[in-house]
Amino acid sequence: MADPAKLEILTRSADDGGFQTVEIDSLHAYRAYKPQRLPPAEWEITAQPTGADGARHFVLRNLRRDSYLLLSSKEHFLWECFDGRHSLEEVARAFHLAFGAFDYMVIRQFLARLYDCGVIERQYALDWQSIPAGGRARRWNRAFGWAAQKWRGLAFRIPQADRLCALLYKYGGFLLFYQLSFWLCVALAVVALTLAFQPGELTANFAHFIKTQPLLLSSVMLGTALAVSVLHVLVHALACKAYGRRVREIGFFLLQGILPTFYADVTDIFMSTRQVRITVDMAGPMVEVVLGSASIVAAYFSDAGLVQALLFGVGVTLWESAVINLYPFNFLEMDGYNIVADLLAVPMLRQQALALIPSLPQRLRRISTIERGEWLQIGYLTLCLISVAVYLYLHVDAIRSLLHLS
Amino acid sequence: MQTIPEFLKDVSLFQDLDEQSLSTLASLLVSARIAAKAVVFRESSESDSLYVVQSGQIIISKHVQGEVDIVLTRFHSGDFFGEMGLFDAAPRSATAYAERDSTLLRLERKAFQQILADYPEMAARICYRMVTVFIGRLRATNEQAREAMRWGLEATGYSPGNPQSAFGRKST
Repeated sequence: MADPAKLEILTRSADDGGFQTVEIDSLHAYRAYKPQRLPPAEWEITAQPTGADGARHFVLRNLRRDSYLLLSSKEHFLWECFDGRHSLEEVARAFHLAFGAFDYMVIRQFLARLYDCGVIERQYALDWQSIPAGGRARRWNRAFGWAAQKWRGLAFRIPQADRLCALLYKYGGFLLFYQLSFWLCVALAVVALTLAFQPGELTANFAHFIKTQPLLLSSVMLGTALAVSVLHVLVHALACKAYGRRVREIGFFLLQGILPTFYADVTDIFMSTRQVRITVDMAGPMVEVVLGSASIVAAYFSDAGLVQALLFGVGVTLWESAVINLYPFNFLEMDGYNIVADLLAVPMLRQQALALIPSLPQRLRRISTIERGEWLQIGYLTLCLISVAVYLYLHVDAIRSLLHLS
Repeated sequence: MQTIPEFLKDVSLFQDLDEQSLSTLASLLVSARIAAKAVVFRESSESDSLYVVQSGQIIISKHVQGEVDIVLTRFHSGDFFGEMGLFDAAPRSATAYAERDSTLLRLERKAFQQILADYPEMAARICYRMVTVFIGRLRATNEQAREAMRWGLEATGYSPGNPQSAFGRKST
């Protein structure tokens, strides 16, 4: 690590007209630095329920920039201290008294996050840009980079999503959030499931057409699922509006850099209660449940043929999409995962679990030292692995069965 | 004791001058003794001359706030400073203090203009050396600005943000 930067200061003396010079290194100044958060009108903080791992989190929102940070209880303590009146040396002492240990790195990392979120007053503005690495990239490397850039470039977002959602909510969207609407959806789902599992022509008809016209059926099923996913995120956003919170964005991106996905950024819902968050999470998959159920009911009352096969296929696909969305253990941050994270009050469960993987063998060798939070992460990883394996097995098996059926 | 022309031979600014030119130049310079801690010139004061440090040490500082300045550099025997005053009438951009008892040789703007008019070849040699020194000082200033910025970043614990530090929920 480089030596700390030094500045030489000259201080004039009023008494004898002389002066003194002193060299101040940046570390000395760092300890004397008094971080100051933005004025209270420019941020809000909400305590989250105590998690199943015993930890307490807080969500800090920068109202000026509409950015959010998840704080641990230790970081919350530091945040409270960053009032512009206490030097980092004093903060460090207070931290040590409160938590029994202290490392300046804790503050350094937290400050970096606060700067990033823009909730600390800065004396300067810098535009950090990564410096291109030296050396000549190979052609295939450049081509891969170009393709990856183009692929990522597919992402887009709708401007003024919050205004659009507010309008949609005002002119009809509110109807979705009556209790009656909910019970109608449940009734429709029950009817659809009852019909789908009745022995009849539905499955045989579908199996026949998936074998004779696989491309048509697959295209319609996937196309419908994609179109419905737009409605799905829109309903998430409307639910957010139903509870008076802001929709930051609606758009399209590549989940994990691979899976094309529509999304609604409802981070503002963290400023509300856990129950509200779960309702917002549930609202999206209800779209697939309702439309999927309607499609199955329509198939049941149709004559056997291509239309019935299409309706049934679409219904099953939408139901499957709802189940995948609501199933929490698939390594993805879908609605089911969000519900579990909210119920456990462990908002970073997936990230923490994935971060645990490299040290997992070592931790398992000292099983008695594993903490409650780590057990939750191990449980999540285990269920994800089992679920993915079962899902793959069932699908391979289902496709084989359908092909053999007719 | 070294005479002024002999001393001027060791000054980088005048190293391209011959004996005769050095003698001519020496006759135009005014020697001044400055006691330790005394001010040679103040920031914002009138600027009309260049100084060559014959002996001692000069500290150059720029006002920051109240009674506090930031030290920009130090000059020792054979160095020169205040050269901006030869070319423009703008106020001094920094303050010069004698850090120790020092002897300075002063070249006033009028004298320099006389050199430009009467000895153009000599003036060209001086100006060429001056530009060379300017370049070095400009580089040093850039480096100093970078150090000051690094100081600020380290002192406030600033570091480039971690892209994963932002928190959010994208409902899909």
